[in-house]
Amino acid sequence: MNLEKVIFGFFIVLALTLNFGFFLGKIENPEHHNVIELFAVVVVNFIATGLKLGDRSHIGAVLLATSLVADLELIAASVYWTVAVHVTGIGLTSEVMASIISLTGGALLANVISVIMLVSETLMSRR
Amino acid sequence: MAASLEIGRVGAIILRQMRRPIMSLLVVYAVAVFGMTVIPGKEIDGQTYYMSLFHAFYFISYTATTTGFGEIPDEFSEAQRIWAIACLYVSVIAWFYAIGAIIRLIQNPYFRLALAERNFANSVERIIGPFYILCGFGDTGSLLARGLSDARIPTVVLEADEARVQALTLRDYKVPMPGLCADASIPIHLQEAGLERLNCKAVIAATNNEEVNLRISAIVSLLNSNAMIVTRSRVDVFEETLSSWSRNLHIVDPFKVFAKGLSAAIFNPVLYMFNEWLVGAPGATSARLSRWLDGTLEPRVRVPPKGKWIICGYGRMGHEAHEMLAKNGLKVAVIDPHPGRSDEDGLSQYVVGRTTAKTLRNAGIEDAVGILAGTDDDGHNLGILLNARALNPNLFVIVRQNRHANEVAFNKANADIIMQPSLVTARRILLTLIAPLLKPFFKLLLRLPENIKEEFMNNLLRRLVETVGDEKPHLLTLDINDETSSAVVELLDREETVLLGDVLRNPVDREHYIDTVPLVVCSEPSQNCSDTAIQVLPGNDYAINKGDQLLLCGREKAHRLFDSTLNNEYALHYLRTGKEKPRGFLMQWLVKRYPPLAG
Repeated sequence: MNLEKVIFGFFIVLALTLNFGFFLGKIENPEHHNVIELFAVVVVNFIATGLKLGDRSHIGAVLLATSLVADLELIAASVYWTVAVHVTGIGLTSEVMASIISLTGGALLANVISVIMLVSETLMSRR
Repeated sequence: MAASLEIGRVGAIILRQMRRPIMSLLVVYAVAVFGMTVIPGKEIDGQTYYMSLFHAFYFISYTATTTGFGEIPDEFSEAQRIWAIACLYVSVIAWFYAIGAIIRLIQNPYFRLALAERNFANSVERIIGPFYILCGFGDTGSLLARGLSDARIPTVVLEADEARVQALTLRDYKVPMPGLCADASIPIHLQEAGLERLNCKAVIAATNNEEVNLRISAIVSLLNSNAMIVTRSRVDVFEETLSSWSRNLHIVDPFKVFAKGLSAAIFNPVLYMFNEWLVGAPGATSARLSRWLDGTLEPRVRVPPKGKWIICGYGRMGHEAHEMLAKNGLKVAVIDPHPGRSDEDGLSQYVVGRTTAKTLRNAGIEDAVGILAGTDDDGHNLGILLNARALNPNLFVIVRQNRHANEVAFNKANADIIMQPSLVTARRILLTLIAPLLKPFFKLLLRLPENIKEEFMNNLLRRLVETVGDEKPHLLTLDINDETSSAVVELLDREETVLLGDVLRNPVDREHYIDTVPLVVCSEPSQNCSDTAIQVLPGNDYAINKGDQLLLCGREKAHRLFDSTLNNEYALHYLRTGKEKPRGFLMQWLVKRYPPLAG
């Protein structure tokens, strides 16, 4: 057992599952999506990205890239949320909510790829 | 065609010749369009309509190309129709003349040749890694190209025969193999083939013409002294000339190679079997090799016996074979139609005449153990084989196959050894290129003291057969440098020791080793590997140095694993220490502060 693998695996899987939890629900209904959960998703994703820094292997580079994609989309989603509620004052209409959730859906896909790569690398090395 | 054609120069000439058709087309169009616009059209409501320039050009365009949409946009006046008739005939003729001339110019053979040369030069430039230049794509050349493709080395082919270049483009190679129809002994063609590029590692002169091979070797040693040269040559004089030119020059004489192989087969059967197994000769599979080691192989497939031999045909091959057999004290009888050769070489028995049942009896076929049908005529060789088998069924028969196309007949002929000069040459050249350490390795094996030789060889072969199993043995030549083994070099630069035994561990489970045997390691590959720089069968405790060259023999899959180990610092770290190396910055920092966290 390797401590780094435990931490690494924990955060990557946590990022995916939290992301999925936030994504779950009717796409245009603000009551199905919790802002605190979005916050947690962003934080955990950032931590996962940080853990991936420094790996010089090929697979490490691709893992970092998927993480960066997820970050980008999650940031876009949270900025949109903030602007809609606090800046323009439109509030969480169904159009706004649908855009936010589809962005996190994209991040979810990036996280799924990340986990698939983690699992396949683990299976390949078999030690 | 002598010199190379530059696309720029030929292109300019072609374009210049296009001037006339293009000019005549322009003039005809201009006059016709102008006429259409000034000739009055129909009168409507007392006003005469004129065609606009745009409509006139539209009308002439579809008329000249014989499309003929009709009178567009409005019905023509009679005056316009008369002009239209004139335009139609003149412009259609001008159009066909111009188009025909332009197409003919594009099909100009010199222009197309120049185009092909440019495409060829472009595809050579696209090769990034190391590549070879192969001159001559005959029997030997195509066998070599196949072998090089299996070894994943891109090769640039120069061949003078157009049909052979066509044949090249129809093969399915695993790596790019651009080919050009050109005389390889002209320097500019070798330059186009990338001779002066840094990643051109070797030039193979394998044309059917000795003079051409010699010229190629000379050009190469002048233009790129770092490239290795492998030349097929059958003439002794050339060998003397060539060998003084360059350290990087290797001469392959198919008959010398064969004669050496024959003598190894008779006097050093273990070595012979080993070589056959390495090159993947038919009938030398791992299963057979291990049965042979156990002494349980059926007597039919065997090594050539000692005793009296008959050589049919005293050409180059017969000559070399006779020299080799006589030197080792075997009795030899020669049958050849040319009289008067018996004195030169001190032949013990020389029968003059074609090889027939009568001459075979004269040569004493009843008490011979083996026969070599070595003329340069395939039909004749097969005839000798049938004759000899009928007269003495127990003979060991070696037959020379000159043309690759006759393979089917020869495979049916039930000979003990089929010797194809082209195949022998191709195999030897291939081994020289992809496993240069094999030659010093064999040399050292030959010099082993007699008392330990057999046991040593048997142990080595058993180990190899066990490792490789029933797969085809794969040879890997590895240079320890930044490009091929970055992770190892990085460790060596930090003055750490990397043991051969560690890199050979299996990345899946470091208690086991990958299926490969390190045969030789050479510490000075650039100095042609003198004996002192060579270590045969290096042990697991051998410490790898930067610049070492290794030769391994094992399974291809194992070599792929090996390659990834050499370039992946995490895998290498695990193999050396049994511990995972921290990957991320966070963990690296943590491990530095609290070392017990590592592992």
